[in-house]
Amino acid sequence: MRITRAVMKKIIPWLFLTPVIIFIILSWVAPVALTLYLGFTDLSIKNFLAFIRDFFTPEVHITLENFEKIFFGGDPYLPEVLKITIIYVVSVLAINAFYSLILSISIAYFLKHDYLSLFLRVSWLLPRITPGVIYALMWNWFIDPRYGMLNTLLSLAGIPKEMLPQSWLLDKPYSQILMIMVNGYIGASFGMIVYTAAIKSIPPDLINAALVDGANEFQVARHIIIPLLKWPIFFVVAWQTLSLLASYEQILLIWGAGGGGGYAGIARAAGVMVWALYSYSKAFSEYQYGYASAISVVLVVVGIALILIYFKLFGFSRLMAPSKVEV
Amino acid sequence: MLSLPRYRIESRKTKALLRSIIKYLIVIVVAVIPLIPVWIMYLWLIMQSFSPKVNLGIIPLGFTLNNWRFLWSPLKMGLKTYPNIWPITINTLLIALGVSGIVVLISTLGGYALSRMEFAGRTGMMKFIIALHAFPSVILLIALFIILNKLGLYGKGYVTLLGITLVKAGLEIPMASWIIKGFFDAIPWDVEWAALVDGCTRWRLWRSIVLPLVLPGIGAISIFSFLSGWSEFLLVFTYVKDEAYYTLPVLIYHMIGEYKMVDWGLLAALGLFFTIPTIIFFSTSQKLLLRIYVGGVKG
Amino acid sequence: MVKVVLKEVSKYFGKVRAVDNLNLEIKDGEFVALLGPSGCGKTTTLLMIAGIYKPTKGRIYFDNEDITDLPPKDRNIGMVFQSYALYPHMTVYNNIAFPLKLKKTPKHVIHEKVVKVARLLRIDNLLDRKPSQLSGGQQQRVALARALVKEPDVLLLDEPLSNLDAKLRIYMRAELKRLQKELKVTTIYVTHDQVEAMSMADRIAVMNQGKLQQYAEPNILYDKPANIFVAGFIGNPPMNFIEGSIMEVNGEYYFDSGVFKLKIHRSLGEMISSKTEEAILGFRPEHIKLVTTKAPNAIKGIVYVVEPLGRDMVVNIKVNDTIIKALASPEIQLTPGQQIYIILDERKIHFFNKSTGEAIV
Repeated sequence: MRITRAVMKKIIPWLFLTPVIIFIILSWVAPVALTLYLGFTDLSIKNFLAFIRDFFTPEVHITLENFEKIFFGGDPYLPEVLKITIIYVVSVLAINAFYSLILSISIAYFLKHDYLSLFLRVSWLLPRITPGVIYALMWNWFIDPRYGMLNTLLSLAGIPKEMLPQSWLLDKPYSQILMIMVNGYIGASFGMIVYTAAIKSIPPDLINAALVDGANEFQVARHIIIPLLKWPIFFVVAWQTLSLLASYEQILLIWGAGGGGGYAGIARAAGVMVWALYSYSKAFSEYQYGYASAISVVLVVVGIALILIYFKLFGFSRLMAPSKVEV
Repeated sequence: MLSLPRYRIESRKTKALLRSIIKYLIVIVVAVIPLIPVWIMYLWLIMQSFSPKVNLGIIPLGFTLNNWRFLWSPLKMGLKTYPNIWPITINTLLIALGVSGIVVLISTLGGYALSRMEFAGRTGMMKFIIALHAFPSVILLIALFIILNKLGLYGKGYVTLLGITLVKAGLEIPMASWIIKGFFDAIPWDVEWAALVDGCTRWRLWRSIVLPLVLPGIGAISIFSFLSGWSEFLLVFTYVKDEAYYTLPVLIYHMIGEYKMVDWGLLAALGLFFTIPTIIFFSTSQKLLLRIYVGGVKG
Repeated sequence: MVKVVLKEVSKYFGKVRAVDNLNLEIKDGEFVALLGPSGCGKTTTLLMIAGIYKPTKGRIYFDNEDITDLPPKDRNIGMVFQSYALYPHMTVYNNIAFPLKLKKTPKHVIHEKVVKVARLLRIDNLLDRKPSQLSGGQQQRVALARALVKEPDVLLLDEPLSNLDAKLRIYMRAELKRLQKELKVTTIYVTHDQVEAMSMADRIAVMNQGKLQQYAEPNILYDKPANIFVAGFIGNPPMNFIEGSIMEVNGEYYFDSGVFKLKIHRSLGEMISSKTEEAILGFRPEHIKLVTTKAPNAIKGIVYVVEPLGRDMVVNIKVNDTIIKALASPEIQLTPGQQIYIILDERKIHFFNKSTGEAIV
C-alpha cells in the first residue's frame, strides 16, 4: 500500500498537468519545432499536398537555400523590411516604455484627483481592450480623407493643408507614422499599467521625505520615482521588444484589407511591411511556406535567445512580478 | 516686532504656482491631448451607428435604426450581399465558448498542480510557462496551418472552427494557468490543512473547499478567454475561406476592405454590435480584468 | 531656529476630523512632544507642519510668517519618519547629501557638511553603504543625519524610536535629547509612548481624537491633568478611577462610591459640589498607602493579584467589583485573599466632572 501511495503521489500532479501539456504541445511546441524544420525545406504550393499526405515525401527537399537568401542578399526586398522593422520596433518601444513612463507619472503622481486619474487611465486602456478589428475600423474611418477627422484635427491644430497627406494609408512616411501611432496607442497602456502599479507601491513616506528634503515634484519624479522604477522599466523594454518584433496583426488589419494584393494587402506599397508580416504574406499570399518559415525562424531564434537573456538578467521572481518596486 | 522675511513667502508662492501650472500643462500635453483621437473615435462609433449622417465625426444629424437593419434583414453593403449576421454570430459564439470552456477546465487543473503540489520539475514547468507567456505566438501561424491540415481540421467548415478553437485554447492556456495559479497561491494553506484534518480526500478537497475560493479567478479567466476567443481574428482569417464559417471580426474586416462602397453607418453599427460583449464584461468586472491585464499582457 | 504657531488648524479627510481646531505654540528652540494614542491626529499635525498635508482650516506660522501655503521644500524643515524613509537606491552618503544637492550647494561644502553630521551621529564609517545593509539603529541615525544636515529651522520626528529594540531605544532617548539641546533646534516629536514624551520633551501636547487635551510641562501633566483622558494616559500603571457622588452630612463632605465613603476636606467638597453632583475620583497607584490594619478614612479591599516588578510591585486590590492598582514596596508580605486597607493622600487625589471629564481639582 505504502509503495502505491508514494507512486500515486508522484503521478497525481502529472495527471493534473497532462491536459495542459497536451495543449501546449499542440499549440506551442509542435509549431515551434515545425517552423524550425520548415525553414530548412523548399515547401511551397507545388509540393504542399504531398507534404500533408506524407511528412517525409521525397518531393520536399531539405535545403539551406532559404537562409542563404535571407543572409546573403538573395531577397532584394529584405533590407527594406529590416529597416521598416527597426523603425517600427524602436519607435513603438519608445512610446511603450518611455512615453508611458511620463504618462504614468502624470496620471499616477502629478494628478492628485482620484476620479480624474481613473478616467484617464481607463481612456488609455480603451485601445487595448477594444477588439483589434474594431480598433482598425475606427482608425480606418479616422484617417479617411473625406469622412474622417484626422486631417481636420491637424488643420485645426494649425498644420498647413500642404503638409497633410492625400492618403494616410499609402503616402510614405505618413503611413509609417500611422503604423507607429496605431500600435503606440495600444502599447502605451502596457507600460502605463506596469508603471502605475509600481508607482502606487512606492511607500508614501519616501516621497514625503523627498519633499521635506527640499525636492519639488519634478525632482521627486527624477530622483526618487524613476530610479525606483528601474526594474519595471527594464521589464517593459525587454518584454515589448520581443512582442513588437513579432507583431503584425494590427498592421495586417489596417493595411491588409484594402486595395487587394492578397493577405498583405497594400502593406508593401505603404512601406509598413514588417518582418513578421513579411513572413506571413510570403506564406499565405505567395505560398512559399519554406521561405516564410525561414523568415519566422529568425524571429523564433531571436525570441528564444531573448527569453534566455531575460531569465538571466531578471531572475525568475522579477519576471513574475514586474510591477513590484524593490525598496 | 518686525522679523526678517525669512521665507520670502510671496516670491515662493509665485514659484510654486508656476510649478504647478507647468505640472498640469505636462499632464494635459502628455495624458489628455493624445486621448482626443481616441475619444473622438469611440464617440464616432456610437453616434454614427444611430445616425444617418454625422457632422465633424461626432455630431449626429438625426436618429435612425437603419444602420442596424442587418439584425433583421440580409447584410448588404453596396452591391454585395454578405452572409446573414446570426449564423456568423453563432460561429463567433461557438469559438468563444469553446475556448473559454477548454481554458477554464484545463488551466484550473494545471494551475492547482503548479500552486499546491510538489513534484520534480515544478520550477522548470513554471519557467517554461513564463517563457511561453513571453514568446510571441503569432509567428507560429504557418506551422499551425500545416498542423491543422495534417490533422484533417482544415477546410471542413465546423471542423475547422473546432481546430481553431483547440489551437486558440492552447495558446491561451499558459497564461490562464499562470493567472489561476496566482489565485490558488492566495488561499492560505491552513484552510487546506484544516480540511485534510477533517478527513477530506484531495479530490473532495479540491471540489468543495478550494474551488469555491478560486471562483473569482475562474470567472476572470473565463471572461478573459471568452473575449479573446470572441475577438480572435488571425486564425479564422487565415484558415477559413468559406464565408459561411466566418466569424464577426473576419466579416467586418472583409467589409472594411470593400472600399468603393463603404457604408460607415453600417460598419459602425456592426462594430458596436460586435463590441457589446466586451463592453458588458468590462463594465461589470473591470477590476478583475484589470488585475489580469497587469499580470499578463501581450503588447 | 523659529517659533512655530498653529492657529485653529483643522484637517478633515472626507467626514473624518483627523485634527480639530488645534491651537499650539512651540517656542524657539523648544522640544515639544505630540502625545496620544494611534489615530489621534498627531502624525497628521506633523505632516501639516511639514507642508505635506494642507490644513482644511486654520493657519500655520513660522516666526510670525504665514507659511500655510508654502510647499514643504520652502519651509526648511528636517524630518525623520517612523519608517526612516531612506532612499533605497542611494548610498548613505547620497542620502544625507540629497537635501543639500537639491539646494545646489557646492560639492565641497556638501562633503564637509555630510562628514561633519555623520561624525556627530557616529555613522561616518557607513557612508558607502546602501540602506539595506544597515541595522535599524544605523538607519535611524542616517535618517536623523539627513534631517539635520541642512540645518533645519524645525526638526520633525515621527515616532523615530518605535522601530528600535528596547535597549537601543532608551539609549537613543538620551542621545536625542542631548543633541537637541546642543543644536537648539525647535523640535516636534510625535509619539504614543508617554515615557518617551515625559523623559525627553520640554512640553507635551496630549491629543485624542483630533483634539488637543492638554499642553503643558511633563510634571504638570502628571500632577494636574486637565481631564480624565490625560490623567489616564499619563502614568504607568495608569491612574485609578472610581465613580461616585459628593454628599454632605452634617457639614462634613464625603465622596460616596456606593461601596465606601471617603471623607474629604470641607473646602474641597464645597468646590466639587458647586460644579457637579456626580464625580469621578482619581488617584495614582504610586500615591496609595497600604496598611493591613483598619485605619480611619481608609478603603477596605481584598488583595487580588500581586505583580512583582523587582524594584516595587503592583498590587491589584478588589474593592467590591472594581480593581484598584497600587504601587507598593516589595517588603510587605501580601497574599491573595488577604484583607487590606487603602489610605489616600488627600493632596494627591483628583476629582473629575463625570459628564464632561474635566478636572475639578
